[in-house]
Amino acid sequence: METPVKFDLHMHTTVSDGTDAPERMPERAREAGLRLFAVTDHDAVKGCRILRDALTEADPAFLTGVEFSCKDEQGKYHILGYGYDPETEPIQRVVRTGHGFRMKKVRARLDFLKTEFGFTFPEEEIAALFMLDNPGKPHIGNMMVKYGYAPSKEKAITEYINKVRFRSEYVRPEEAIRGILGSGGIPVLAHPAFGSGDELIVGQEMDARLKRLTAMGLQGVEAFYSGFTPKIIRQMLDFAEQYGLYVTAGSDYHGTNKLIPLGDTGLDDAMPWPDGLHRFLEEVRTRTMYGGKIG
Amino acid sequence: MSENGTGAVTFALTGRVDSLNAPELESQLMERLAGRAGAPVVLDASELQYISSAGLRVLLRVKKTNPDMTVTGVNSDVYEVLDMTGFTELMTVEKAYRTVSVEGCEEIGRGANGTIYRIDRDNVVKVYNNPDALEDIRHEREVARLALVLGIPTAISYDVVKVGDSYGSVFELLNASSFSKILAEQPDRMDWCVKEYVEMLRKIHGTLVPKGKLPDVRITALGWAEFMRDWLPEKAGEKLVALIRAVPHDDHMIHGDYHTKNLELQNDEVLLIDMDTLAVGHPIFELASIYNSFVGFSEYDHETIKRFQGFDRETGLTFWKKALAAYLGTTNEMKLREVEDKARVVGYARMIRRSIRRGGLDTEDGRAEIDLWKGELLELLDRVDDLTFDPDELELEALVENLPWVQEFIDSHLESTDCPPKAQMQISLAAEEIFVNIASYAYAPEKGRARVRVEVAGDPVTVTITFLDRGVPYDPLQREDPDVTLSADQRDIGGLGILLTKKTMDDVAYEYKDGQNILTLKKKI
Repeated sequence: METPVKFDLHMHTTVSDGTDAPERMPERAREAGLRLFAVTDHDAVKGCRILRDALTEADPAFLTGVEFSCKDEQGKYHILGYGYDPETEPIQRVVRTGHGFRMKKVRARLDFLKTEFGFTFPEEEIAALFMLDNPGKPHIGNMMVKYGYAPSKEKAITEYINKVRFRSEYVRPEEAIRGILGSGGIPVLAHPAFGSGDELIVGQEMDARLKRLTAMGLQGVEAFYSGFTPKIIRQMLDFAEQYGLYVTAGSDYHGTNKLIPLGDTGLDDAMPWPDGLHRFLEEVRTRTMYGGKIG
Repeated sequence: MSENGTGAVTFALTGRVDSLNAPELESQLMERLAGRAGAPVVLDASELQYISSAGLRVLLRVKKTNPDMTVTGVNSDVYEVLDMTGFTELMTVEKAYRTVSVEGCEEIGRGANGTIYRIDRDNVVKVYNNPDALEDIRHEREVARLALVLGIPTAISYDVVKVGDSYGSVFELLNASSFSKILAEQPDRMDWCVKEYVEMLRKIHGTLVPKGKLPDVRITALGWAEFMRDWLPEKAGEKLVALIRAVPHDDHMIHGDYHTKNLELQNDEVLLIDMDTLAVGHPIFELASIYNSFVGFSEYDHETIKRFQGFDRETGLTFWKKALAAYLGTTNEMKLREVEDKARVVGYARMIRRSIRRGGLDTEDGRAEIDLWKGELLELLDRVDDLTFDPDELELEALVENLPWVQEFIDSHLESTDCPPKAQMQISLAAEEIFVNIASYAYAPEKGRARVRVEVAGDPVTVTITFLDRGVPYDPLQREDPDVTLSADQRDIGGLGILLTKKTMDDVAYEYKDGQNILTLKKKI
């Protein structure tokens, strides 16, 4: 068996809520000793398009990635897509839909701040906000601090922005899965046991979730994740085997926005690789890869 | 945040920890732990209401730099989350105990270390006397599990709670009633209770315990005897210690506090509920504690048993007599008295020590009670030479009027054999001859004790009866056979009996050994 390759398949850049620009990621990955990495910004493929053009043979191997925030009647999910072609229509359509919802949300928040608290911002600030790929609460919060409406970004969010309640629109999981598959990618459920990030879904609830998502075309689970305990990892590996799913590993690195080091995926060198992980890496070798070689 | 004496960093988690404030908590913790990687960390979660996966991630982070991590005071919701996600495997997680009040609750049992109350229809709580009872609770849970594995039906606690200043363990006990309650309310069920009680006792005493799993009650009893040395005349104290020391080691289980409040009837199933006194040892130690529960403790103040068991002294006495007879499988009063006397030796030593240690000498009643028990103990120590008992051996006072008990004892052993009536009569006559001899001459003019041993074994089946006494050395076989040609009024009557014995038995032998006359009769049947 070949030496395990160090890799990380879940990280964010400034295209979404990370603090490293996409161009910086190859260097970061090298520093962390990674031989393979994937950038997975929220609802965006722009970082991958930038990287595709910037990478050289000397860089670690790079796999295109994305993390769609999805919701249906049964709950919220983060669905990762890997190895898709970012220039193709199916995935771009999902990105456009997600971006549209996001812009509507920003608009609703700004309206609420104006009517509820009388907070207004100059036209050019608002225009700049809408130019961003992925504007959200932190950006509005920063703007409020800049114009003296709140002492800090955190206070701006908890005391003002979060007061607004409206029905958010989300991409549905089947839309995301179809888009990823349509562009030649592999759909994978992100941090499954943590739901959409801050839930706890295990046992029967997890089983029901996987039953529905695999019926929609889901092909893998992120069984190794920086926040998972060995017990959760064991359970996710059991599910992967039961459903015949690929297994991936990711840290959810956000630069300095979160204290998660790049490469901290919960998969340590001593651990034997599950079959689903071997199969995943074999599969992605045949997909669109950029940069250097995996191993 | 503070640091305690051992250099552990302690940090209080409060309210809710979720994705909103987890980053702040994380940076606070990281800042505090900077340069202190590897230091023990104690997170006090007693004010923590909720933790989301974002919060769990923070714990995991801290665990990576500071592996020696403890979370204390965890409420049951948070505990469930930590358990489900495997955090309880990763770090020490100490649960917060929910508080339970037993005010106005029915007391359904009382043991050496605590009292059991019913808190609702399905649950009972055992409140420990010792305020620092967590170790006791752990011990009891462990021995209860052991007992269950070994086949003794018992309830195992599923939760630990805070009760006032002490702790309690909670058990599920559905629709159950203690044997004490049954005895108090339904006197007609006495015989049924005795039967079930003895069946369970036999089961306990028939259970072999793996070595080292339970304490040896003999060691504990030796402690009582050593204590008693200061309160007894020197010779009596020495004898008490020697008697207990001479009891052979036994790896069978004993309960240690086996009275009817600790036995529950739950839907036709008999359950033991108080297991913390479980030990290994000779059954005499168990019988001593049973005697105390039903008789000994209320010998001075007859109302004691009513307060403790809920039934009166008469019921207690009857229950004890019936249970002992059923346990020994005999109604022979001499046999019952023999074993009861041995049990009382240990029982009194235990009660006197207990009372003295609890300030019994400080009150007039206490002193009178101790004097009563001490008088009984001294009287017993004067005559009891051995604490073990054997179903094939009867020890009794060598008095002519006790002859019927000797005969009954022998007859009961012959019952199980196909002994022809003629042989049985010959054995009975021979036994009468020997026992009356001992009763009349061995200790005269004083009194003394004799032992009668009956063994039925071999092929052809042979009955062996051995008489032992510590009287003056005397071999009845050495005297000349009487001249049967003489007229009746010229003959020696006793001598005739011996002649008859020699003629009807297959073998009659005498020896004097270790200060004892030993006469053995053998008869093939």
